Amino acid sequence: MIKKIKSVRFVLFVCLLISIIVAATSTYYKVKYWGFSFKPKQSTGVWSIEEHISFMPTGEKIKVSITTPEDSDNFKVLDDSIIATGYVVKTEKNGQKKLILTSNPRNSEQNIYYRVMLFDNEDTKGLTKDIKPQAPKIPQLDERQIAIAKEIIELTKEMEGDLPEKLIHIFNQKPAHPLVSSYLPFKISQEEIAAAIRELLAIEKVSSRVVKGVKLEEGKKSLEADLMVEAYIRNKWRVYNIGTGKRGIPGDFVIFQRGDKGLVDIEGGEDSSIQFSVLKSLSSNFDLASHRARIADQQAYFDSSIFSLPLNEQNIIKWLSVFPLAILIIVIIRNVIGLKTMGTFTPMLIAMSLVQTGFVSGMISFSIILIIGMLLRGLLSKLNLLLVPRISAVVIFVIIIMQAMTIIGQKFSLNIGLSAVFFPIIIMAWIIERASITWEEDGAANATREIVFSLITAVMTYLVVSNEYIRHITYAFGEINYVILFLVMLLGTYTGYRLLELTRFAPLVKG
Amino acid sequence: MFKLLSKIFATPKELHENGVLGMNARNYKFISKCNKRSLYPLVDNKVITKTLAQEHEINTPKLIGIIEYQHEAKNILDIIGDYKEFVIKPAQGSGGRGILVVTEHNKEIFTTASGRKITYNEVYQHISNILSGLYSLGGRYDNVVIEELVHFSSIFNNFSYQGVPDVRIIVYKGFPAMTMMRLATKMSGGRANLHQGAVGVGLDISTGKALNAVLKDKPVTIHPDTNANLMDLAVPLWREHLDIGSKAYDMTGLGYIGADIVLDKDKGPMMLELNARPGLAIQIANGIGLQKVLKNIDKHYPKNLNAKERVDFVLNGGKF
Ligand SMILES: Nc1ncnc2c1ncn2[C@@H]1O[C@H](COP(=O)(O)OP(=O)(O)O)[C@@H](O)[C@H]1O
Ligand SMILES: [Mg+2]
Repeated sequence: MIKKIKSVRFVLFVCLLISIIVAATSTYYKVKYWGFSFKPKQSTGVWSIEEHISFMPTGEKIKVSITTPEDSDNFKVLDDSIIATGYVVKTEKNGQKKLILTSNPRNSEQNIYYRVMLFDNEDTKGLTKDIKPQAPKIPQLDERQIAIAKEIIELTKEMEGDLPEKLIHIFNQKPAHPLVSSYLPFKISQEEIAAAIRELLAIEKVSSRVVKGVKLEEGKKSLEADLMVEAYIRNKWRVYNIGTGKRGIPGDFVIFQRGDKGLVDIEGGEDSSIQFSVLKSLSSNFDLASHRARIADQQAYFDSSIFSLPLNEQNIIKWLSVFPLAILIIVIIRNVIGLKTMGTFTPMLIAMSLVQTGFVSGMISFSIILIIGMLLRGLLSKLNLLLVPRISAVVIFVIIIMQAMTIIGQKFSLNIGLSAVFFPIIIMAWIIERASITWEEDGAANATREIVFSLITAVMTYLVVSNEYIRHITYAFGEINYVILFLVMLLGTYTGYRLLELTRFAPLVKG
Repeated sequence: MFKLLSKIFATPKELHENGVLGMNARNYKFISKCNKRSLYPLVDNKVITKTLAQEHEINTPKLIGIIEYQHEAKNILDIIGDYKEFVIKPAQGSGGRGILVVTEHNKEIFTTASGRKITYNEVYQHISNILSGLYSLGGRYDNVVIEELVHFSSIFNNFSYQGVPDVRIIVYKGFPAMTMMRLATKMSGGRANLHQGAVGVGLDISTGKALNAVLKDKPVTIHPDTNANLMDLAVPLWREHLDIGSKAYDMTGLGYIGADIVLDKDKGPMMLELNARPGLAIQIANGIGLQKVLKNIDKHYPKNLNAKERVDFVLNGGKF
């Protein structure tokens, strides 16, 4: 008998070793050739920007041209797509890439979405060479303006820094510098400042152009495109922020368009608005991996791995990937520590819900559901109902409690109320039923203990599954789950004492 | 600090040296090795247990009748016949749930053990509830067992707060391995379940006399409600108790079981039920590690003995 245990254990142990070796090899491979990292942070490199164009048709033929961003020093385009129902889409490559959308006349408000995915172009950062542009045209200005312009330029001579920087500084002085006020007598917009600065630069024979783009900030909605001035100085195009005069593209600025024209030209439409929203894609770094795999000639192996799946499926798999670890924790808590919980996997499901609700509001709303549910269940037990109708009634209680909490939560905009719906209804009903039965049969103390133990288990599981690092690793290096599988199986042969048995049986030893 | 810890915690080594059986080892080395799953129904269903017991001439409360379907519930008075006292219980119940003990009736009013009077309709309703699974695990449909009442011997009256004390015997490969008596307390609500707060008194396997006692896993010597000295407890007809345990092995083929035995003042020890996953608190009640005892049986006890010979062997202190 003992021999048999040993041989089962031996086989499992060998399997465990093999799985560790496989996981280690594959991890090495992924890190080395696919550029995977152990830190989830690396996944911040991919952004998706959505440009929302809306306008009212005037009743004529519609033509919309959209300027699209191009690969730059900082960013490379991974993918782009357009949603414009009923439009004919053409690509025009004439200098900068443009999308031309045409359609017959329409009459209701039009919404067009252009989406582009970019990633940090680490390989080329700062390495591209710029071609020397032609000398700028001398601007057409009247004499008075030229005189003022000369004076402004004279002013800059005493200042430090690049010419555009100094000019921006002067134009932005508050209250406005008298020279600036007379050069630009009316209300000054960013566009006008940009134009003025370009004129002055042209007088000084410095080529320049306007740049429009979007600053990448996660979760930003309804951005307008930002404006910057780019000038060819010291053999390079350099970008200057019109607001601050600071030189250089901020690391998170994506250029959509260079030059004077609008980002979007609309013929046959009016009242147009253009808004940007920026989203950091959660797992798209694996698209990058695909990109790199292609470069590294590993495409065949890569295609078979989950990372070549569409994003949505990847997200589901990412969510599933952390479960085995949660299961391992449950096994350890039950069979090694010896905590008795309600149902084997109930605590894990609670933990999963907590991830969605956030810890504090999740715990509060869980407790509220449990307490109200048990009170109602207490009334039920007087009626002596049969099991199936009784548990069904509890399920309905839970639904009603969740609805009430959601409505109350909405009214007073409390997150706590809103998080109620994330708990699985049936599981909540079973917890209430189990706790009530234990309460009736074994007393309040036993019932409370069971609930507390289950919650402790849920919290421990939560701490693990909510950790970004851990989730990243179980997903990116999914082979770890084989290791976990054999660990769980090995624990199935663990015949040693549970931690809590050390105190339970202590009287036996201490006499 | 360390001293305090070492007071409430034993080291695995200490437990091992004392032959304490842990839950994991119980499940892995004993239950899953000695108890074939297909045999579980023999102990999980009281009708089957009872029929088998009668075939093997194990003393058990006589079966008066069973009710399988709702439409048979109205036959209850016919089934009872001339019986003035009887017990109604779910065939697959546990923890004492759904047990109705009737001590007197006139076909309309029924008096329960606690003296409460209920009507025929309430009895009918109770049977109906059992049938539809109110008391069985997971709400499965169940059968109703109607059996003769046990007239409990009064010798334990001082040792138990209400309720009926029973003797639990762990039987390993047919050998009674460890025994204890379970005594109801106020805390356990008159029920003899240790986890509900009943007192467990470990009994010397060869004499049936008290060795040691626990309440909620903590040692005690005096019954918390009756103040009886638990160490005075001695179970009469000890051999007959062990005989039941030993025969239960032949009857079920399960190598590791717990037999629950009550003492009838006229008919002697009677088997109430068998359990294929008996708990481990019995070790604390005895102050002896179970693994040590089981190992000893594995190593030194002869095989191929019949039930009587096994009991002889045990009573003789593990020798011939
Ligand atoms: N035939 C009987 N006569 C008197 N009391 C009984 C009888 N059967 C059961 N009881 C009482 O019910 C309790 C539980 O019975 P048992 O058969 O062990 O059911 P369970 O499986 O629910 O524990 C016993 O300890 C005893 O007090
Ligand atoms: Mg019982």
